Formats: sequence, C-alpha cells, structure tokens
Amino acid sequence: MKEGAKYKVEKFLKDSVIHILLIIVSIGCLFPLLWMVGSSLKTQQTIFSDMSVFPKNPAWGNFYSAWTKGEFGMYFLNSLFYTVTVVFCIVIISSLAAFAFSRLKFPGKNILFYMFLGAMMIPLPGSFVPLYVLMTRLHLVNTRIGYILCMINVGLSFSIYLLKTFFDKMPTELEDAARIDGCSRLGIWWNMALPLARPAIAVIVIFNSLNVWNEYILATLIFSSKNLMPLQRGLMIFQGIHVTEYPLLMAGMTITALPIILVYLIMQRHIIKGITAGVIVG
Amino acid sequence: MNKKLCIFFILSLFIVFLSLSLVGCGPKAQNKEQVKTIKVWHWMSDREKAFLELAKRYEIETGIRVNFELYAPSDAYAQKVRAAAQTNTLPDIYGILGEKRDFASFIKAGYVYDITEEMDKNEGAWKNKLFAKALSVNEFGQGNSFEVKPGIYGAPIDVTNMQMLYNKDLLKAVGVDPSNPPRTWKDLVAVNRKLKAKGIQGLVSGWGETWMIDCFASNYAFNIMGKDKVLDTIRGKIPYTDPDWIKVFDLFREMRDEGIFASGIVTMVNKTAEQLFANNRAAFAFNGSWCVNVYRGMNPDLNYGAMLPPEASDKYPMTIWGGAGSSFMVNKQSKEAQLAVDFLKWITDAPQQVFLSKETQDLPSNKNSLKDMPMVLSQFANAMDNTTHPNAWGVSEFPVVIEAFDKGIQSIIIGEKTPEQLAREVQQVKEREIAKKQ
Repeated sequence: MKEGAKYKVEKFLKDSVIHILLIIVSIGCLFPLLWMVGSSLKTQQTIFSDMSVFPKNPAWGNFYSAWTKGEFGMYFLNSLFYTVTVVFCIVIISSLAAFAFSRLKFPGKNILFYMFLGAMMIPLPGSFVPLYVLMTRLHLVNTRIGYILCMINVGLSFSIYLLKTFFDKMPTELEDAARIDGCSRLGIWWNMALPLARPAIAVIVIFNSLNVWNEYILATLIFSSKNLMPLQRGLMIFQGIHVTEYPLLMAGMTITALPIILVYLIMQRHIIKGITAGVIVG
Repeated sequence: MNKKLCIFFILSLFIVFLSLSLVGCGPKAQNKEQVKTIKVWHWMSDREKAFLELAKRYEIETGIRVNFELYAPSDAYAQKVRAAAQTNTLPDIYGILGEKRDFASFIKAGYVYDITEEMDKNEGAWKNKLFAKALSVNEFGQGNSFEVKPGIYGAPIDVTNMQMLYNKDLLKAVGVDPSNPPRTWKDLVAVNRKLKAKGIQGLVSGWGETWMIDCFASNYAFNIMGKDKVLDTIRGKIPYTDPDWIKVFDLFREMRDEGIFASGIVTMVNKTAEQLFANNRAAFAFNGSWCVNVYRGMNPDLNYGAMLPPEASDKYPMTIWGGAGSSFMVNKQSKEAQLAVDFLKWITDAPQQVFLSKETQDLPSNKNSLKDMPMVLSQFANAMDNTTHPNAWGVSEFPVVIEAFDKGIQSIIIGEKTPEQLAREVQQVKEREIAKKQ
C-alpha cells in the first residue's frame, strides 16, 4: 500500500515537472505569436503605450491597410508560385539524387555526396555574391527562373542528406522483390522509395516551404523589378530607416505567417516520423 | 505504374510550362529609343513614396524617366551594391552605406563619378546651395589617408545632426522655464536635481548602441579641448591620459553620481529610449534629427524642443556630430552619368528639398529650403553650423580603441571603472595598435 502511494506521488511529481516545463516552453513559443497578433490590432500611438496583449478597441482596419499598402496581392501570388515550384523541384531532384547516392554505384559517389554535405555548412549570406555573379553571367538576374534555381540550390543539400539517410535504411529485399516484379530503377524510386519516404518528404516540404516563403535577402539580390518580388518585400515597406509602422508590420506578418502555419498544421503528423526517419522503414 | 508515371511527367511539364510562362511575365525590356531612363537604387523605404512622386514630376518637366528601386533593409541593400559592384552592374545613381573607407574603395575601383567640376560650375552654384558640412562627408581632401583623388563624390539629399531634446511639459512641472532650457553643465545638473526630487528621469538615450556614447563624448571632447587636440589624440600625438580627456570621462562619472541617467541607459537601444522620451517618461534625450519623425509617430502631442548639449566649458564651442544624412553617388561607368548628375542637381534644388522635408520630416540638404519648417526641425537645422563628423576629420581612430573607449564609458556609468582607469586602459590599447602598425 505504502509502495503504491509512493509510486503515485513520484509519478504525480514527475508528470507535474514535465507538464510545467512543457507549459513554459509552449508559452515561450506562443507568446511571440500572440504579441504579433495583438500588436497588429493596435494603432501607431497605442502600440507604445498600451501594454495589454490584446487592445480594448482593436484596429481591424490594419489588416486591410497592410494588404493594400504593402501590395500583398501581387507579392502573395509570387511567393506562392516560388514556394510551390521550388519545393516541388527540390522533392523530385533530391529524392532522385538521394536514391542514386544510396542505391547506385558510380565513381566519385562519396566525394560528390560529401560535397553536398559541405554545401550545407555554407551559410546562405556567404554564397550571395558568388550566386549573384553566376546569375549575372548566365543572364538570369531579374528573372523568376534565376531565383527559383538559386532557391533550389539552397534547399537541395539538406534534402538529399535527409532522404539518403532514409533510403540507406530501406531493406534491400524490398528493392529485390520490386525488381523481380519487373520494376525498372525509376519504377522502384517512384513506386517504392517515394511512398516509403513520405514522412521524410513531409519534413522536406515543411522546412523548404518555410525557407522559401520567408526568404527575402536573395530575392533582393536577384530581382530589380518590384513585380517579381516575394511577400517579404511587402513587409519592408513598413520599416523605415528610423520609423517603423509597427501595427501594419505586425498585421502584415500575421498575414504572411498564416499560410505557412496552415502548411505546418497539415503536415505536422509527419514531422516526428520524418525527423526520426531511418529508425523504422517499411 | 505507367499511368502514375504519366501523371507525374504531365504534372512536371505543367510546372515547367507555368514557370516559363511566368518568366515571360517579367519586366519587359524598356524601349530605350523612346524614353531616356535613369535607374536609382536606394534603401530608404520611408522616402519611397516621396521619391516616386518626385520621379513623376521630373519626367513631366524633362521627359526623362527616373526609376527608383527600393532595396530594404539597409543590410540587404549594402550586399546588393557590393555584389553589383563585383559584376559591374551598378545603376546610374546609388548610395554607399558604411564607413568612409568603404566609400573610398568604391571610388578607387572606378564606380563613383567625381562631381567636383559640376559643383563648381557657375561660380559654385550647386555647391553653394548645400550645407557645407553635408558636403564634407562626401569630400576627400588633399592628402587624405585613403589616397583618393581630392574632390566631391556624392550629393547629400538630406542632412542630420545629433542634439539634446528636452520635454517642455516636464521642465515646466519642476518650475523650469521651457523657453530657457539648460545651456551649461551646471544648469543641467541643477535642473536634474529638481527633476530627481519629483521622481522624473533625466537623460535617456540609446547608449546600448555604443556609437551614440562615442558621439556624446566626442561633443564634450571638442568643447573641452578643441578640435585640434582631439585630432592630435587620434594621430597619436596626445595621450588619452591627458587631463582634458580625464575631464571628458569625468562628466560621465558626474552624471552617474547625480543620477542624471535614466535607468538601464547602458544597455538601452535607441528605439526604447525614443519610446520613453515620447511617452513623457524622461525629461531629456540625446538623439538625431530623425527623431522628429519618430516622435511624431509615437506621440503627436509630445511638447518638446531641441538644444545643443549644455556646455561643460567656455573654452571651445559645443560641436555636435552631423552632416549628410543620406547621399547619392553617380556611377562613373554609367552611360547616363551626365543625366544622373543633372537629376541630382534637380533633387537637391529648393522646391524638391522642401517637398522631401515636408513629406519625410528630414532636414533638407539645401540651405534655402528651411522656411515653413516645424519649430523643432528648424532648431536642428540652425545647429548645422556647429556640426562635425569623424568622416570629415581626415584621420580615423583604430576600431579597437573606439571599442575600448565606448565600452569603458559604459563601465564608468555602471560604476565599474574610474575616469583615470579608463584613460589608462584606452591609452594602452592605442599604444598597442600603434606598435602593431609600426
């Protein structure tokens, strides 16, 4: 009886500590979002004096002003197009490359793979100038295709690494069975490898969507035409050198964050599976 | 399987088709034969609207189209300019952000047009319209340490300076005449005692951003020992342990002991300092002329004025940091360099400067555009004759010395160091750097 009570107390304490920690972490994650939404409903004057998270008289018009003043309509479509295209291309190219690195034997395979890994270590700002020089030489500056190619290049290394790790753990027996059934190499990749790698692909989709959706610096470098710029360009309108229109900026950020939160919610069930990809396959 | 593969390839083709069609939606090549065009790159998002309006007016007046392209924030802009310089794709007009040595490297690489001749034309008609102090930031003098051919390489489109702001309502509340703010150090200390008695914070400023401390200390160094002695210190001829430098450092000790500083000033970013002052939570602020625009956004009813920092000595005049706020340079490689120069002449002319100043609340670079300005802005404008800037000194201090200097002052403010200790430490760093150079 005493043992049972002790066990219950221990379990209660352990659960309480875990839950308190998780609640603190959740608040830490959610508070900036709440603050962003709350600030988007304040005015330029009240944002510095009203310390409440949500104002008593919310200025809903900020969302309309942010959308029109920041020309979000055009930028939104641009960002949507870049994100869909880049993520689609990354998934196809990286899965094909990772499958080749994992399953095919060819000279220089390891060197090539380590080169991809090495590329992961170079921070994006470090490659800006070389990318710009390359794009200029290829006459791809100020074109959508130039930007898309750069963004694909940025996302490939990590995606190949993640998928290769996944494919390495895939039992060879499955591949043999598919081959006996008459599948070609491409058929195995399409019918077997890709469906099994769904959790890893979900992670790649989320990470790269987030990356492309929020990207701005490279876009600034590649584009000179405003019409080609992504959504983040709209946000910059509200940030002056010395004066920032915080309520409109926050409203714009809320609008910008919504689609990516939606993608995350749709894909979230795959996240844990994907991050632990390779532990259990098939 | 074949069906699935077919769908996949059709989808891929669709994406490629969509990509190509959208690529076609990109900007069409300008018909260069019809309209002459100048391209301008800038980073000033709060001035974008005013620039676009001016571009419209210019096209109506001259038939020349000016395309303003905004790249913000300034970090992204600076990277774009650097990358474009490496590929020789800079626009006709652009601005160079950074220190004077960055400016010099662009000139030496052949990317900046020397506009001295244009400035001097017609007995200096263009030059004489502009604040001399604003021009000096874009000027390289004879025998400059950057080894740049002497001349003027940029046109300022606005000017700025750093002063002290005082809250008229708070001064009134402690019985100080707001039309007569403290002019001397003694006055400042006396007013602060009254403020302290009523629980009102004294001076607020973004001294977490160390350049602002550097600026404040430099003002008093000029006031206490004069320009020549300050520059001789930078040249290494006078040590930082000189009694005059200790006097400068001692002002910070005195301000700490008198409780003049608002709490947390050492780590405060300027945005927070601006909020505090705008919300009547501090009686004095040390800030740049851009604050007029900032305070207007934060609290349009703020009742305040601008003044020179109170003098600590009557030996030399109070000199404040100031000069060109933002400048434009003409690309020497541009085929439209002359058109670009003509446009800069036009944008720095009085009517355009008045328009820019009204729209953006920035100080105009043209001396003849100061009419009809808000009072605080004209108080800033009137102090332009008292300005100086490290970029115009012709000598520059070692970055590590500046760091030791600024951080040391922060240490005085929090009571970790004495003025004498700091003087010794800065001098040691200076001597180490001089030895390294030799």
